[in-house]
Amino acid sequence: MNAVPAQPPWLPTTRQIAIGGIVLGLFAFWLTIPPVSARSPWWPVFAGLCAIAAGIWAVTRDVRRPGWGAIAAGLVGIALGLLSTRASVSNLDQVVVWSALLSSTLVWATPLTFAAIGGMFCERSGVVNIGLEGMMLAGAFFGALGADKFNSWEMGLVCAAIAGGGFALVHAVMAIHLRADQIVSGTAINFLALGVTGYFFIQIYGENGTPGNLPRIPDVNIGFLGSVFGHLSLMIWLSFVLLIVAHITLFKTAIGLRIRSVGEHPRAADTVGISVYGTRYAAVVLSGMLAALGGAYLSIGYLGSFSENMTAGRGFIALAAVIFGNWRPFGAFAAALLFGGSTALSFRLAQPWGNASVLFQALPYVLTLIAVAGVIGRSVPPAAAGRPYVKQ
Amino acid sequence: MDEPPVLELRGITKEFPGVLANDHVDFDLRRGEVHALLGENGAGKSTLMSILYGLYTPDSGEILMNGKPVAIRSPKNAIELGIGMVHQHFMLIPVMTVTENIVLANEPVYAAVLLDESAAEKRVAEVARTFNFAVDPHARIQDITVGQQQRVEIMKALYCNADVVILDEPTAVLTPQEAAELFEILRTLKREGISIIFITHKLNEVLEIADRITVLRRGKKVETIPRIGATEAGLARAMVGREVLLRVDKKPAQPGEPLLEIEDLSVHDDRGLEAVRGVTFDVRAAEIVGIAGVDGNGQSELIDALTGLRKAAGGKISVGGQDLTHASARQALDAGMGHIPEDRQRRGLVLDFNLAENLALHDYGKEPFSRFGWMNPRRWLRWASGLLSEFDVRGGGPATRGGSLSGGNQQKVVVAREVSRDPSVLVAAQPTRGLDVGAIEFVHRRLVEQRDAGKAVLLVSLELEEIMSLSDRILVLYEGRIVAEFTPEVSEEEVGIAMLGGGRKEDAAA
Repeated sequence: MNAVPAQPPWLPTTRQIAIGGIVLGLFAFWLTIPPVSARSPWWPVFAGLCAIAAGIWAVTRDVRRPGWGAIAAGLVGIALGLLSTRASVSNLDQVVVWSALLSSTLVWATPLTFAAIGGMFCERSGVVNIGLEGMMLAGAFFGALGADKFNSWEMGLVCAAIAGGGFALVHAVMAIHLRADQIVSGTAINFLALGVTGYFFIQIYGENGTPGNLPRIPDVNIGFLGSVFGHLSLMIWLSFVLLIVAHITLFKTAIGLRIRSVGEHPRAADTVGISVYGTRYAAVVLSGMLAALGGAYLSIGYLGSFSENMTAGRGFIALAAVIFGNWRPFGAFAAALLFGGSTALSFRLAQPWGNASVLFQALPYVLTLIAVAGVIGRSVPPAAAGRPYVKQ
Repeated sequence: MDEPPVLELRGITKEFPGVLANDHVDFDLRRGEVHALLGENGAGKSTLMSILYGLYTPDSGEILMNGKPVAIRSPKNAIELGIGMVHQHFMLIPVMTVTENIVLANEPVYAAVLLDESAAEKRVAEVARTFNFAVDPHARIQDITVGQQQRVEIMKALYCNADVVILDEPTAVLTPQEAAELFEILRTLKREGISIIFITHKLNEVLEIADRITVLRRGKKVETIPRIGATEAGLARAMVGREVLLRVDKKPAQPGEPLLEIEDLSVHDDRGLEAVRGVTFDVRAAEIVGIAGVDGNGQSELIDALTGLRKAAGGKISVGGQDLTHASARQALDAGMGHIPEDRQRRGLVLDFNLAENLALHDYGKEPFSRFGWMNPRRWLRWASGLLSEFDVRGGGPATRGGSLSGGNQQKVVVAREVSRDPSVLVAAQPTRGLDVGAIEFVHRRLVEQRDAGKAVLLVSLELEEIMSLSDRILVLYEGRIVAEFTPEVSEEEVGIAMLGGGRKEDAAA
């Protein structure tokens, strides 16, 4: 009675068609940029309309989320495609330089990767860390301060990690032992870090800002990869290592199993003798240290200076990357690349287009909205995230 | 017997603010026996076991294992000493696999840190084979049945080489079939020399599985007796401290006009599948109709549709001639429907509200609870305290939070609210689930009282015994259809066969 009409296995499912529609929508935009650089507006319109058609087809067959996603991707693809067909080829060539875009993407993604992987450990253990932003900022400032005072970038990183870990410890005490609301506690950390770094920055460096000869994290060139990416900062290479180590730790070790169990069902972990509080403290402090290293990369890695509130919301974007990446290291990294990539693109767009590029800066957030709305699939947070644990 | 008991508790005392939870309790467990710990809710069974498992420290008393005193300060200590516990609410992580749950905190590793998944699976399979458990080690907990989840909990204990296993109300969440399977497992464990503490308040289970029985009442040990010679009546008396009527005392029914009429009703479940498939029956005034059936045969959907909590996909529901097929829950209540829901904690009460608020939950907006649109909470309190004493709710007054009462008293509050509204039709879904004998007797008496007052009572229960002893007519629900109708004189076997699909009506052949 409830039998589903039989479907031959070689035909794509409705869901696959909808996802194909999403890809087609993005393809509509891709057609118009180098190296293809289609100049006729009909190409992106045609591809976009196909995407919309696939979306409508899927929606009418009750595959709603991917279907609407395909429709949205089609519309966005047509809009962006038309925009770039109206632009001159020289402008486009100036903006879309793939190798430069790629390395710039990595530059912008790296601080996010560090913070997002930290945040992921934190949330996997059951503590929401909205204070990532403040911990990054603390890392950026104390990293610069340490590098300046000890005259070594290594000490800068150490100082950053200690500062980030310290702020995280405050959050941990509030969230774990005092059972404060974790959002409120994390927000407090953000303001605290803003105040503390701002105060010491003015006290120590005053009007002049950080010295120009701040020791910088060096660039390294690793074998053939260097010829693809050019010289990349040590921190970028470290972020790749971190990514793999984080993945193995979380999913292939006993420690990871315990962290996940504490974040899913702390009482169950407690009854088999795992220290819930100990695990959570360790995870929160680790997240602070990683976020701070991400921040330090901004100050002593990329820019070579510190300015007040220089993280400018990157901690929050990292948090979005955690969610978007479904609380997995590679997912978070992919999300960080997406955000980094659109940041890089918006910077390059600024050259020919001037002020209009501000609009393009909204691109990562639009993509996030589409993604978080569940187009790709629902992301499921750790069951106990945000809930303090009360021992029996 | 020269061998010292595997486990001995001597003079255990534990006091919480205002309550003496355990008062010099002695308890001993012999190798390879099932020792039942019997008592009403709040008698101190769980406290005693929490002390044994290291969750509480006793104020005084000592614990001996194999004749030697031991100190148990944390669950970790308990596990190291070979004590495993199967909690009433399972301590399993739904998104993880069976293997991951079992090895958690005792993971086999290689290269110092890396999880050795194949070794873990091998050891889990080994435990499964020794004790004859059928569970897929790769399945996620959220995808397996409650009965299987419980087996995973037991395997968790066995994996840590437990030789004492504590089971806290293990049958509360099981269907009768699953309970029978559990008892089979317990017998296997016994044969392997494992000692079992079985916490329960169900007398028939105790008599079926236990070797010895210890009864607790209000924190004190009443007696420890061998099963042989024990009777349900005697145990009930020891538990409650007075004579308990296990049989429901009732006069033959004198049914009147049909009050609740259901015609060809079909209802879909959450996934959109047909859970109730064209059911027709009525419940007359002054009659209790019992619906028997194995869990998941459409009972919940049927009740939800009757009480306006779920849309009917087809058919007709009427109460006293008034069509309620598309009524909301509010309209159903106003039409004279009373509902004692299946899950008192999630649907029966608002646990964070006080008892007066809970009792006024339906009629807060009407006279005399409100006047001119203003609620009158002081009036609620006065009215509630009268109701609470009438229904013998203990453990709190009108201003007590609903969640702080014991299960039995929570159910009394729900019954008080529904009965006091004077409904013409009372739908009772598993009204005694998880209650102890004293509270069961109370609820049963109230249901019969309602019948005698001329109400139509629809009783839906998974406990066949309850259906048999209360109902004036018995309907059997199987795969969303009513497959048989019996008078109360029928034998349990006959109803049991119908519950498994071997009914009298024409569907039975299939």
